[in-house]
Amino acid sequence: MNLSPGQRFPDLDLPDHTGRDRMLSDVAAGDPLVLVFSRGWWCPKEQRYLRELTELQDEFEVAYSRIAVVSVDAPEVQSAFRAGLGARFSFLSDARRHWISRLGLQETTDTTHDPYLPTAFTLHPDLTIHAAYHGYWYWGRATMQELREDMRAISRLVRADFDGP
Amino acid sequence: MSGAPFTWRERAFTIDARCLEGDPVRGAWVHVCALPDRAARIPFDQPEVQQVRRDALAWWIPLLGDALVCISTLALDEVHYGGAVTVARSPEHFGQDPFARLFAGTVERSDDFCAVAPPAGPILERYAGVPWPGGRFG
Repeated sequence: MNLSPGQRFPDLDLPDHTGRDRMLSDVAAGDPLVLVFSRGWWCPKEQRYLRELTELQDEFEVAYSRIAVVSVDAPEVQSAFRAGLGARFSFLSDARRHWISRLGLQETTDTTHDPYLPTAFTLHPDLTIHAAYHGYWYWGRATMQELREDMRAISRLVRADFDGP
Repeated sequence: MSGAPFTWRERAFTIDARCLEGDPVRGAWVHVCALPDRAARIPFDQPEVQQVRRDALAWWIPLLGDALVCISTLALDEVHYGGAVTVARSPEHFGQDPFARLFAGTVERSDDFCAVAPPAGPILERYAGVPWPGGRFG
């Protein structure tokens, strides 16, 4: 699957952290979206990164932008992890590995957890990919400033009154 | 998506229209966190109103789980929050409703409310006078 900038990201259908079935487009709900694929709650790198993302959520909440995290953790595990982080954004569970191989985002070096390759995409409201970040090595991950800049670039394109009404 | 009229105890509010559109859930339990007193209102941008919506996203909606039917703030005008409704298939958790911190809750039964996918954010209204979480740009 081509997940390069300019391509449309698939409208994932996955249960969220409460077990409700969600579509990615519903989670975006017309707003720019940061979509993070995470190994899982057990990984110290994911814990570190998601703590940072949780600190950023206050800005997203007042900037009409969204964050969603996909992992192979079960919804109840995600719910506990989310609560521990203090996150208010949505987690989507691919515990059944429904999308991981179709997206080509398996982390093949971890045969114990069979998790997602740490990857992040910044998406337009229609799920067009703006940028992709590959975080197998931690320094490949999107910094919070890069996410802000991507949200600014997308918002400038999709908000007709971005420079003021 | 926009707001729809909602009258409770002779007070006129606006509610997220999606809560009243579609197939209603029969016999739903409604927690109305509002007061009949017309003076009971708070500007939407007050920190306590923002915080209660953060709490709704963080734990209130997850706590309700599949029991949740819909949720909406009640707007009085372009500036003022008048309360909130949480509609569920069971009243079991209404005692923990974070919106009751602002205005005390009243439990009622209703056949009028429809199931709406719970919001993923944000915590602010999108347009003045359109109740949270309704409304979208574009």
